[in-house]
Amino acid sequence: MYKIILENIAHSYGDKQVLSDFSFSFEQGKTTYLVGPSGCGKTTVLRLISGLETPSQGIIKIDGKIVSAEGKTSVAPHQRQTGFVFQDLALWPHFTVFNNIAFGLKERKASAIKEKVSEILKLFGIADKAKKYPHQLSGGQKQMVAIARSLVLEPDILLMDEPLANIDIKLKESILQHLKILQQQLNFTMIYVTHEHSESMNVENCIVVMNAGKIEASGSKEEIARSENSFVKSFINF
Amino acid sequence: MAAKIGKYISQFTLVLLLFVLVILPLLLLIIQWLTGADKAVLLSFISRETLLLVSKSLLLSSVAAFLATVIGTVCALLLYKFRLLFSGFFKAALLLPLFVSPYIFAVAWKDGFYWVFGNTAAFYSVAGVILVHTLVFFPLTMLITGSALSRVHAGYEEAGFMIVSFRKMLFKILLPLIRPALTISFLLVLIFSLSDFSVPAFFGVNTFTIEVFTQFSAFYNYQLAIGQSVLLLVLCLFLMLAEIRYLSDAPFFSVDIRGSVSKRYDVEKQLIFHAVLSVILFIALLLPVFMLVIQSLSGRMLFFEQAWELIGPAAFQSVKVAFTGALLVTATGLWAAWMQERRQFRLPGLLLLFSFIVPSTVLGIAFIRHFNTPSLNFIYGSVLILLITYLARFGFIASRIIGNGIKQVPASFEDAARIMGISPATRFYRITLPLLFPALFTTFVLSFVLCLGELGTAIMVYPPGTELMPVKIFTISANAPQALTSSMTLINFAVVLVFILVFLFIGKIIFKKFQYV
Amino acid sequence: MNKYFSGLIAVLFLILGGCQNNSNEVVVYTTVDQIFSEPILKDFERETGIRVRAVYDTEETKSTGVMNRLIAEKNMPQSDVFWSGDPVRNGVLQSKGITESFQSEQTGMIPAHFKEANDNWIGFSARARVLIYNKNLISAASLPTSILDIVQPQYKDKFTLANPLFGTTTFHMAAVFSLWGDQGAMQWMDGLKENGVIIASSNGDVKKRVMNGEVPFGLTDTDDAFEAMKESSDVGFIFPDQQTDGTGTLIMPNAISLIKGAPNAENAGKLINYLLSSETETKLAMSCAQMPLISGTKTPENVPSLDDIVAMKVDYKKTSEKLEEIQPWLKQWLQK
Repeated sequence: MYKIILENIAHSYGDKQVLSDFSFSFEQGKTTYLVGPSGCGKTTVLRLISGLETPSQGIIKIDGKIVSAEGKTSVAPHQRQTGFVFQDLALWPHFTVFNNIAFGLKERKASAIKEKVSEILKLFGIADKAKKYPHQLSGGQKQMVAIARSLVLEPDILLMDEPLANIDIKLKESILQHLKILQQQLNFTMIYVTHEHSESMNVENCIVVMNAGKIEASGSKEEIARSENSFVKSFINF
Repeated sequence: MAAKIGKYISQFTLVLLLFVLVILPLLLLIIQWLTGADKAVLLSFISRETLLLVSKSLLLSSVAAFLATVIGTVCALLLYKFRLLFSGFFKAALLLPLFVSPYIFAVAWKDGFYWVFGNTAAFYSVAGVILVHTLVFFPLTMLITGSALSRVHAGYEEAGFMIVSFRKMLFKILLPLIRPALTISFLLVLIFSLSDFSVPAFFGVNTFTIEVFTQFSAFYNYQLAIGQSVLLLVLCLFLMLAEIRYLSDAPFFSVDIRGSVSKRYDVEKQLIFHAVLSVILFIALLLPVFMLVIQSLSGRMLFFEQAWELIGPAAFQSVKVAFTGALLVTATGLWAAWMQERRQFRLPGLLLLFSFIVPSTVLGIAFIRHFNTPSLNFIYGSVLILLITYLARFGFIASRIIGNGIKQVPASFEDAARIMGISPATRFYRITLPLLFPALFTTFVLSFVLCLGELGTAIMVYPPGTELMPVKIFTISANAPQALTSSMTLINFAVVLVFILVFLFIGKIIFKKFQYV
Repeated sequence: MNKYFSGLIAVLFLILGGCQNNSNEVVVYTTVDQIFSEPILKDFERETGIRVRAVYDTEETKSTGVMNRLIAEKNMPQSDVFWSGDPVRNGVLQSKGITESFQSEQTGMIPAHFKEANDNWIGFSARARVLIYNKNLISAASLPTSILDIVQPQYKDKFTLANPLFGTTTFHMAAVFSLWGDQGAMQWMDGLKENGVIIASSNGDVKKRVMNGEVPFGLTDTDDAFEAMKESSDVGFIFPDQQTDGTGTLIMPNAISLIKGAPNAENAGKLINYLLSSETETKLAMSCAQMPLISGTKTPENVPSLDDIVAMKVDYKKTSEKLEEIQPWLKQWLQK
């Protein structure tokens, strides 16, 4: 069953065409990796799904319902039950770790909020950082806070834009392991953008190889590895 | 849908309010000029003499702007790129000339010159005007370029050091990187210098602005004066629009150190740097203040008590009105900057730009004609007219400073909150506004100082019975003993200094709180 | 959000609340130096209980406040009274229909020569044009006895004059043009230029330059000269053209006008009468050596009497008209 369907999506920023004739369906509860060189439109795909951008052409459906079509957005970003981990993490510098995570919670009782936030901080092993500010954290800790903030709202869709860039392999693997467990527990659909093809080759998920706003190839890692597409070959072998 | 309509209505209402209060008076004046004058007279001001005078004025102001930019940039480099002892003191002290009326400093420098050289003939010349304008306005360029230098990423300089000398890095990498700041500094000083009439009048130098004011003041020839003002206005508009077109996305001004990874250099031999800064400080501030002190003590009696009696009430009132004016200017600047940076709606910023470049007397005439009606007398007969004046004169600067602050808040900060379902109002007040505090605070302080010293339009529209410090000093100085005028000026200076110190103290706390950003 | 805007609104009310209008008031625009006019107006306020709201200005300093306000406010006057340092400004306003006739017992005490024929302006407390000099640079005996003599070679580069486009200097030049005719006056002024006349920004600037010893002597008003003498013992003054057959020196009365359509006409009348009184003339004599026009007014000993000065014979109305006529030429002369 498909959670998110993109049909004939085209999008441009001013004169620059970023996506053209992009069509893909993302499976419910699975992780899909969007890989490709910098500037190929990966982040744009995430922004379109989240509702932060509206496609110039094409249709986006979530759970079978049209959320964006032909330049119009019918479902606002906060109504799409999505979490977004931004490339620059977007941690609010004047909020503590606790407040960064708690800010979006709709619970009325402070105790309920505290419980939820503490739980997720514990899950990521950063419970002792609750009162710290982002500038007092290491790079990895910041990334965990950013992910925790997105997950605390229990989204149906988690969009991650190069969230693990510039951190060491061991920590990366640890975070990915956390995410895997959480995905099994919460059954959210994850779309993970990276320009590091090696990240995607290490997991058993769907991979979409993009280039210049188009899909060059998609499928499992074996199917990608066997692809005759010259770009895919050169990108994977890079 | 209803929310969207409501949003558009409120946006439209604010633009309409700004237009009606600030721009409409100016447009009506220009339209009256266009429709009222005999066609032959209409363009009579475009003559060879006028064009020569315009060229002379532009040249004079350009030289002043160039020199102010050079001196300001030198000071900024020394204070913001090098770790010098007492840099904090120099940063604060070198700002002070900005807080006193150019006319007062012209008198003080002239007297100082005479005291030192025994002759002032050389001072009563274009050179004298350039000197005074340079020394009064260079603190502004120092602020702007200093701020820009603080934001240059250390990596750029370090990459340069790997391959070239410091000197080459400075001229080929660092200064080109702050080119937008250098340009806007130059343009702002150019406009301030072009608009000022008090200093050229004092030194007997005929400039285009003097010509305009002569038509107003001596000939009461509104048609010609407005026509000449339109020419001046078109020139300034052309310059500013060019800056906006090519540089509008470039950083402008902020004094917070958010995201600052700027490189600062250690210096062993600080003496020479301190010497340079001290010389500038001496000429720009200490000499005129010294002259004011000498003059205030040179009379047959001390006038401080009388000076305080005269200026005390004006000081309280001025501070009240300037404080309110600064709040209004900052709030409007925030709104205009927000519209431009986040909504790509440039109209409010352009309206403020237009009012900024109008000569102060023309603004005064326009306001009198527009607001002096029975229905609008509640504005004209009250301090509201002064608040609108301050908005017209300084709203543009506020919008540019805050706009720069907004540019430094990544859009992803707001996107992250948007995704989480945080309402636009909450996003603005809980996320964006706190992050803009340093820029808002800087804007408020600068606006306060500018409002406190505003003379050109205020003297035309201030409600009868309202006492303002700069107006009082200006009118009293016509025939008061020199010692009394100097005493009043020193008190004016002291009042401004006290408030600046208070603001600096508060600013230190605010910037410290936000320095991690 | 509420915190910020509540604070803003509170401050606004604080400011605006402090500026309530008082209904028992009079609004006066004056070009007489604030240092002299303000104490008189405060005395009036104290003695009558009528609040005085004043707009001050100086015609010397080229700020365009008062005159342009009055002209711009013509259709809805904010001011009740215009108090000028010379009658020329009042004449300009009269020609634009901004003033109104005012007659009272007090106006009857002013000699006819010192008021407009229909009482659109009434004179009081006069100043005179004088030559102020620095005793260290030139002796009284060496000074020119007539302003005509200033063009002579021995005075080259030694004389300063305020900008003739503004203030009482304009008035003086217009009087000279009226008296000597256009040719004579132009010749004299061109002679001044050739003799290196130094143009000061105002009469106050003339005073300062002579006081500081920058220039030996200059043409200014009696109040400037007396102020200079209070500040420095190196300064003196003489009345020029005092010979028996001389042209005399220009006498410039203060001039007061009722504004047409004044919002507080009754209080305006009270203020005008107050100013046209011996008491006011005495105060102005004491503060700035202005010479009373009302006979019998007490003055300090050092203030000259008009009876002892040979006055230039001027028709103030014609001089006003002459002024508007010669201004374009004066502007050209200035730029030569």
